[in-house]
Amino acid sequence: MSVALPPPPPSRGLARHRWAARGTLFRLRSPAFWLFAAIVVVTGLVSIEQQQAFRDLSPSGWALSWGLLAIYALPAFLLVYVLDLYEREPLSLLAGACAWGAVAATTLAAYANEGWGLVVARVGGPEFASRWTATLAAPLVEETLKAAGIVLLAILAADEFDDVLDGFVYGALCGLGFAVVEDVFYFVAVFGGTPSGVLAGFWVRVVSSGLYGHVLYTGLAGMGVAYVVSPRGEEPLGRRAWIAAGLFLAGVAGHVLWNSPILNLFPSDTRGLGDWLRVPLAAAAKGLPLLLFVLVLVRLAHRRERRWLATALRSEVGGPGLTASELGVLLDPRARRRSRRELRARAGRRAARLLRRLQKEQVNLAMARARAVSPRDAALARQREYCKSLRDALEAIPGAAAAVPAHDASAGAPAGPPRSGP
Amino acid sequence: MDPRLGVAAPRRALLATAVVGAAIAAVVVGGYAVGGALAGPAGPPVDVAGVVRVQPLSGWEIAGTFEEPPRVRLTRGGGNLDVVAVPYEGPAVALAGEYVDAVLEPDARQLSVSRQAEPVALASGLPGVRIAYVGLFGKAEAPIEGEVTAIVSPSGVGAVFDAWGAEGVLRYAVDDVRTMIDRAEIA
Repeated sequence: MSVALPPPPPSRGLARHRWAARGTLFRLRSPAFWLFAAIVVVTGLVSIEQQQAFRDLSPSGWALSWGLLAIYALPAFLLVYVLDLYEREPLSLLAGACAWGAVAATTLAAYANEGWGLVVARVGGPEFASRWTATLAAPLVEETLKAAGIVLLAILAADEFDDVLDGFVYGALCGLGFAVVEDVFYFVAVFGGTPSGVLAGFWVRVVSSGLYGHVLYTGLAGMGVAYVVSPRGEEPLGRRAWIAAGLFLAGVAGHVLWNSPILNLFPSDTRGLGDWLRVPLAAAAKGLPLLLFVLVLVRLAHRRERRWLATALRSEVGGPGLTASELGVLLDPRARRRSRRELRARAGRRAARLLRRLQKEQVNLAMARARAVSPRDAALARQREYCKSLRDALEAIPGAAAAVPAHDASAGAPAGPPRSGP
Repeated sequence: MDPRLGVAAPRRALLATAVVGAAIAAVVVGGYAVGGALAGPAGPPVDVAGVVRVQPLSGWEIAGTFEEPPRVRLTRGGGNLDVVAVPYEGPAVALAGEYVDAVLEPDARQLSVSRQAEPVALASGLPGVRIAYVGLFGKAEAPIEGEVTAIVSPSGVGAVFDAWGAEGVLRYAVDDVRTMIDRAEIA
């Protein structure tokens, strides 16, 4: 039996819904896009030249560096990407965040660090500067430049910063891009660029320290940016700005601690196996507290997102778009995955895909509900009907009907007013 | 930003973008501007044999004066600049080579000198060369790195500026040193 998938609801009206629209980086009418693009292009040319210099210096070391970093960066990207349990961010924006960190922030930071290093040297003298420049100049410079990219993304695509977790995702990927390019620099220019040097650098900077660095610092800054621009913020703007500043400074503080001679348990020389094994322990002493802090924040952000979704959809339960059991499954990402797995086993891959789409549109229904002025809002009604049509299509697939929860008798009745706004 | 639409109003978006652009520019070039403002001259100029005059920047002070050849050492927190004045007829690169052979080499263990001399020019227009070195000197176990700038004036004055410091320290003194060399007056 062939089942035609229902067409999506008319884009007009729904297109502006945050979770219904697939956003893009390429918003040509936004001045922020042009500034973002101009900086990435110009710094990209400098960055390419630098990579060519590294390649000429040590072709094998350079290639090995990128190969090893790919092993780290790809899973890290995926890990951050799937952190957002209810809505995945548009890939073009994620790529933009990554490119900003890798190309713009690294190149600008190289110039800026030099300049602020000069200030430290002129204020404290060369010997003081040799010990403290990395602590006093680099963290503030690098975190500001990375955060500037996230702010530009937030200006040009504010509709994609739904909640703090979205900001974490953008910030963390910006930090990941920065970390990868910085690591290539360290592997070739500091660890010597020979295959053994690159492997040593990989052990020190990625295996031992990869969990702690730029991904966390910029993730925190991104959370702050999202906290300011997210439409779900209930606090006054001033308070949100203070919290954002606090998150940014927490990232800077983590970076300061990492770069400082304080708590430095790293071996001064690596002569034996014991010294090499001390490196991850020393890295953990500096980085673990911030990692735990970020994990707690991410957990809280997940809860906040879940609470928001439950509140937004509560009044839709029993309507055409959502049943009570569907809401239960929707709120639990593991249950959502399990339901699709079970459906695929029973009714095939196509049914599982359709269920995935239904669940996604039910999340979009939450956005439509939160934005609707009245429960009879036309766009909201269209989204309800769209969800219903997806469910109907799903039920028409042999073997799938049993898996789709029985629909509430009150389906079709206009839902009540929302319990709370966004 | 319109909190409901999540879309920045055009004028606000333009303003916000301008603010971010200005912040980026301030971070990138601000250090050089502040650093430049901090690099003011301090104290009277230092004469070496009456033919080379160097204006110390703030924080730099005279650590010692020496004879044969006439030499003045300026220092600041781990960074040092030795200024030597000798009568000399010949190219600057030869003067740099002679300085390495006569002053650095005898006191050094494992001295390594850059193979190529970098051409430089002072603010007054006098040309010269610059070479870098690293090595162990005296009884010290830690390596010293430095850069030698040699200038020969048309009147036959050879000036050698030897900036040096512990490995990793010199790079934080080198901007000051180059500024002082650039502004040096050679008879």
